[in-house]
Amino acid sequence: MNTMPITDKVRIDIRNLSFYYGATKALKNVSLPLYDRKVTAFIGPSGCGKSTLLRVMNRIYELYPGQRAEGEVLLDGENVLTSRQDLNLLRARIGMVFQKPTPFPMTIYDNVAYGIKLYERLRKSQLDDRVEDALQRAALWNEVKDKLKESGLSLSGGQQQRLCIARTVATKPEVILLDEPASALDPISTAKIEELIDELANEYTIVIVTHNMQQASRVSDYTAFMFLGELIEYGTTERLFTSPQNKRTEEYITGRFG
Amino acid sequence: MNQMNRALYMRRRMRNTVFLSLSVFAAIFGIAWLALILYSLVTKGMEALSFSVFTQMTPSQGGTGGLANAIAGSLIMSTLAVVIGTPIGIFGGTYLAEYGRHNLLSVVVRFINDILLSAPSILIGLFVYQLIVAPMHGFSAYAGIVALAVIVIPVVVRTTENMLLLVPNTLREAAAALGTPRNHVIRTVTWRAARAGIVTGVLLAVARISGETAPLLFTALGNSGWSWETLPLGKAGTISYPAMDAPMASLPKVIFDFAGSADDGLHRLAWTGALIITFAVLTLSILARIFESQREL
Repeated sequence: MNTMPITDKVRIDIRNLSFYYGATKALKNVSLPLYDRKVTAFIGPSGCGKSTLLRVMNRIYELYPGQRAEGEVLLDGENVLTSRQDLNLLRARIGMVFQKPTPFPMTIYDNVAYGIKLYERLRKSQLDDRVEDALQRAALWNEVKDKLKESGLSLSGGQQQRLCIARTVATKPEVILLDEPASALDPISTAKIEELIDELANEYTIVIVTHNMQQASRVSDYTAFMFLGELIEYGTTERLFTSPQNKRTEEYITGRFG
Repeated sequence: MNQMNRALYMRRRMRNTVFLSLSVFAAIFGIAWLALILYSLVTKGMEALSFSVFTQMTPSQGGTGGLANAIAGSLIMSTLAVVIGTPIGIFGGTYLAEYGRHNLLSVVVRFINDILLSAPSILIGLFVYQLIVAPMHGFSAYAGIVALAVIVIPVVVRTTENMLLLVPNTLREAAAALGTPRNHVIRTVTWRAARAGIVTGVLLAVARISGETAPLLFTALGNSGWSWETLPLGKAGTISYPAMDAPMASLPKVIFDFAGSADDGLHRLAWTGALIITFAVLTLSILARIFESQREL
């Protein structure tokens, strides 16, 4: 499928993954590797299964009855879809940021410290450092450093989303899943989030679901095009956008459907 | 717009006016009764209101006195009923909304809770009479507290469940996605997000039991003096505490008795008692609102 041999290291290997919402099959035998410290974008029209695929990786779908996955998701070679996998530990390793900003009803500081305190016992000064570091990485520190004790809900939508990214980054996950993180934001906030993704890609393996093809082409190293629950085409972003090999991929990225 | 049908537009405007008038009328009609009730409550309640109401015992027919023992009894029983009923109600509501949203147990519990919510309170009084008063061969404050707690529970269960259901699932997902165990998500995120609503539910329950007479008729009964027990402590003197295994007076029960008596003085005291209950519940609600708005987090 690829024109160039890929030398990047595989971090997550999805193999023959199918997913069911009750009786509805939302993913059909999807297989693809996700590369370490690279940004991978999932694109495709609404209902194609890109968000579902993301939600399998940290097993967040298990909050709801009647949803089930078949196949394998190998994180560093270990299948995370087995019952032996501790769910909370898995989610501590694979962070997630959602479409709508979801600040917790507590202070900005407590929002960021929330995840850290779950798994680490730190002195106050150490915790302060970690919170500042996370807010710095999320490019939010300068805007909130004087109001850390104010409610996270008092921030604007774009700031709230960066707060959520800071909260996710603060726990030092290995992989970050972003589910249309900028779709509810204005263009300036979107640009900030995209810059941020670029920065984070130096340290984290990032998977982003997006409706916006310009965004996918701007931020990602690899792109997967999905349609009706199937993986249609996968490759480096440059290759996929310049010379798509599947007719449907070409039609989608040139805006002829979707 | 040139093609606009003028008759159609005028008809819609007229319909709007009629609809608005009906709504305003209904609102005024409803509030007017409330205002009338409050007016007569305040004017009649003020007549016998004096300092002695809070210091003297309830009188017998023809005598003079106050409502001190009834106020104390109501405070003790209502407080303990809320203390017992609130945690059970909150945990019950939390189970329904967080853990057992779709399972059979929840459907059954929810159904029974709804029945309990609308059960005539005298039935609860009779139930507690059979459960506690009859086997113990006597009326007691304990029995009154249990009866009131049984009324608190379904109110708190219902409001807690409803308020938790209003918390968006995205918030639960966000907390879970950090690797947060379920109970930690509930305690630190969803309860917090629903706190104002849950507090309102508890206040609703307080308001409800503050005025309940029927469940106390066959349980705490009533008493014309202090329900105190004294425990000698040797050289240290004595210690007094409320006698919970004996009948205890309460405001609603006293209002019920006095309002039905032939004595004008007792009538006036009954009005004053009603005013005190109303004022206490109102104050509590206002304080809770202020408290809630102060901590916006």
